[in-house]
Amino acid sequence: MSPRLSLFSFARSIPYRPRLSSQWLPQPATRATPSKLRAYSNPADQAPSGADRSTRPETKPADHVSEEAAKVADITGTQGPDMEQGTPVEQVVKGDQEAIDKLPKVMQDKLKGKSPTSAPKGSRSYSTMTTSETGSAAFDMGLVGFNSASTVPEIPGVKFGLPSLPLPRDGNLKHRYDTVVDQVTNLLMRHGQKSIAQRNMSLILQHLRTSQIPTINPARPLVPGAPPPSHLPLNPILYLTLAIDSVAPLLRIRNQKGAAGGGVALQIPVPLGIRQRRRTAVEWILNAASKRRNKGSGKGGFAQRVADELVAVVEGKSGVWERRNAVHKLAVASRANVVLPRKR
Amino acid sequence: MPSSVCIRSISHLVRDRAAHTSIASRCLFAAPQSAGFSTSAARYALPSKKKTGTVAAPKRGVKSLNVKKGRKGVQVDTAKRPAQGERRALRKRIVLSNNNALEVPYLTDLEKTSALSKKNQGQVKGLPEEVVDSLRAVEAFKPTQGWSLFRRPATLIRKETVQLAALLKVAEGHVNSTEQAVEGREDGEAVDGAKEVAEVTAEEAVAVAVAEEGPKKTIRRVIVGEKMSGKSSLLLQGLALAFVRGWVVINLPDAQDIVNAHTAYAPLPESEPTQYTQDIYTANLLSQILKANKGFFSNTTPITTQPELGVPLPANTTLEQLVNIGINNPDISWPVFVALWAELTLPGRPPIMLGIDGLSHIMRNSEYFSADVKPIHAHDLTLIRHFIDHLSGKSSLPNGGMVLAAISKSNSPTSAALDFSISVAEARQARSGNLPTWNLYTKVDQRVMDVLKDIEVIKVGGLSKAEARALIEYYAASGMLRAKVDEPFVTEKWSLAGMGNVGELERATVRLRV
Repeated sequence: MSPRLSLFSFARSIPYRPRLSSQWLPQPATRATPSKLRAYSNPADQAPSGADRSTRPETKPADHVSEEAAKVADITGTQGPDMEQGTPVEQVVKGDQEAIDKLPKVMQDKLKGKSPTSAPKGSRSYSTMTTSETGSAAFDMGLVGFNSASTVPEIPGVKFGLPSLPLPRDGNLKHRYDTVVDQVTNLLMRHGQKSIAQRNMSLILQHLRTSQIPTINPARPLVPGAPPPSHLPLNPILYLTLAIDSVAPLLRIRNQKGAAGGGVALQIPVPLGIRQRRRTAVEWILNAASKRRNKGSGKGGFAQRVADELVAVVEGKSGVWERRNAVHKLAVASRANVVLPRKR
Repeated sequence: MPSSVCIRSISHLVRDRAAHTSIASRCLFAAPQSAGFSTSAARYALPSKKKTGTVAAPKRGVKSLNVKKGRKGVQVDTAKRPAQGERRALRKRIVLSNNNALEVPYLTDLEKTSALSKKNQGQVKGLPEEVVDSLRAVEAFKPTQGWSLFRRPATLIRKETVQLAALLKVAEGHVNSTEQAVEGREDGEAVDGAKEVAEVTAEEAVAVAVAEEGPKKTIRRVIVGEKMSGKSSLLLQGLALAFVRGWVVINLPDAQDIVNAHTAYAPLPESEPTQYTQDIYTANLLSQILKANKGFFSNTTPITTQPELGVPLPANTTLEQLVNIGINNPDISWPVFVALWAELTLPGRPPIMLGIDGLSHIMRNSEYFSADVKPIHAHDLTLIRHFIDHLSGKSSLPNGGMVLAAISKSNSPTSAALDFSISVAEARQARSGNLPTWNLYTKVDQRVMDVLKDIEVIKVGGLSKAEARALIEYYAASGMLRAKVDEPFVTEKWSLAGMGNVGELERATVRLRV
């Protein structure tokens, strides 16, 4: 017989074990009653001292002299002391001879004769006073010309003013180098060693800068609008760009497999973008340079050869020109294979 | 019955086949094409053609690695190879002018009267042509320096250069107390000189030099500083100032060349402990001295001492002739050097500048071995000992002069004693109370410690912004830098160069290190 009353008895008992950890008592995290403690930094009027808790006026401590004077002045409608600042002792004891007599000697001396604004007399040759912000410009702690950030900007929301537009092209960290230099550096890079590629690039430009003024072959004209050759060594990046752009092919030949029938590839000329053109030209130049003889020894050999090849390109002596002409010739021959978009 | 002729012919064949070519061609045993006892014909014969296709095919199922690329288009380079030493010469070539660079209109040369003036600070000064020739003769220019970018060699007179110039003045005997203040410390030798010589301005110094001569000093300094901070350049500037002032300059361009056992050496007779001379190197050094100090050697002064060289000297031998004897007979180059030194230190001769670059190479054992296969200490080589004696203050220069040694940070074997001595010297000069102490658990090279006991250093730091600006303006004026040189630009480059490290500044501005 069951000792307990069981209204809902099941055939099988359902185990129900309330977990202790999940028990939660609704307790406030913080107490609602205000703290009796006051930090030093808290304003005094927010947390009244013990005597002020009483509502009876007679239990309250007497006001400070100047506070009292301020209240009186408020009631009488006259000008009282400024409560924002502390009242100087001189002002408090003004006209009260007994109080003056009981003042410390330093204060008595100060009241006698010496005006409070006069500079302190003594052997000290320097001042220990701070200078006011509006004061003498002669006093300078190295902050002349220093605009503090707290000045209100003319355009709201812009702390340092707006930059002048257009932004410089190399303003971005990632685009700080010339486009061509960047591209050639990356094409010079082997095994991901960019630093070595950069050194080689620097050496190439240095060789170009110290090389002779090139003599242009009229049969191999450079890009139209090229500066006179005497300007080139002083501007090696322009020299490099000119050499690359002059031999850059306009097209490439795409071999469409089986399109010509009989297993023959159809040669279709495809126009190239500026970056692609430069890439092709640089690869040709680097190929030609790597086939050159190394004159010296040491690290700078390849850079020297590339620089020599670039000079040869500008002077029209390089074999890269033939290569470019061959591509163009083939492209002209196969121009019938170009499939233009159908006109509607 | 067999014919005797046949046997005879066979015996002939064996002995001398060349006489019977018709028989030889039909002969069966053609393998050794020479007489049995001679190997010369076989040795000088053309090599037999390599047989191709004899390598067995790889087994079935076995993968053979073939990494040859483009076997079809391999072209054997048959062009003439560069001659011995040609490649190295190309690598070490020193180019001192760039015809593309623009002439800098405001560039003035260093002059004898104003070279040591303090007013030169922060200016780029050109090196006069004869000084450039001399500097080239003493191999003061280095291939890594950027001389090849500009129209003609010029150099920035920086704070340290002015310090060095003041020291040169002290060495010459005109002590200027104002410049002592620049130096920032009492120079033990210089102070008593300062008492004797009245305070003179830089311009008056020359007049004083003619009128009265103070006591000549021997200044000893080691140039230290960060990598690429211009230590070798400062040494070069020191040499250039010495050339301009008419000193005799003896420079050991690279200490490594003396100790790396690339030149012949021989024990010096009657030396205890044994010292070693390097005859070829010394002869070469003598020729460098002769070439560099043309002005001094051209006035034909007959030698006054009677050196024992082992060769008869003609009467009234001039100094130039003496040096030429040493150049032409390397065996006696060291005695000639000693005789030359004795002549140079006679009273009335010009001050001497002794320079060396790469000091740490000579602060350890050299690569040479003694007769009982023990390493020879670098200080046992006569040339180095001569230099070290003057660097350590053991011997002094009676006519005044300077011993200047530059360390290198990129090519320097570790020399704990040198590093320690430099740090002690720096601490001493900074007048900090606590001098560094030797770590007792490291091996000490006592000879090096003794030599560098009381050495003083010139610390080459970064350029100031004004100096950096002067340099960058020179770059721009030469057309090597295409940018507007203004305050933000200079500040940017100065900061990028690690607060004015001059090598990095050059790299950031003109080397196009992009």
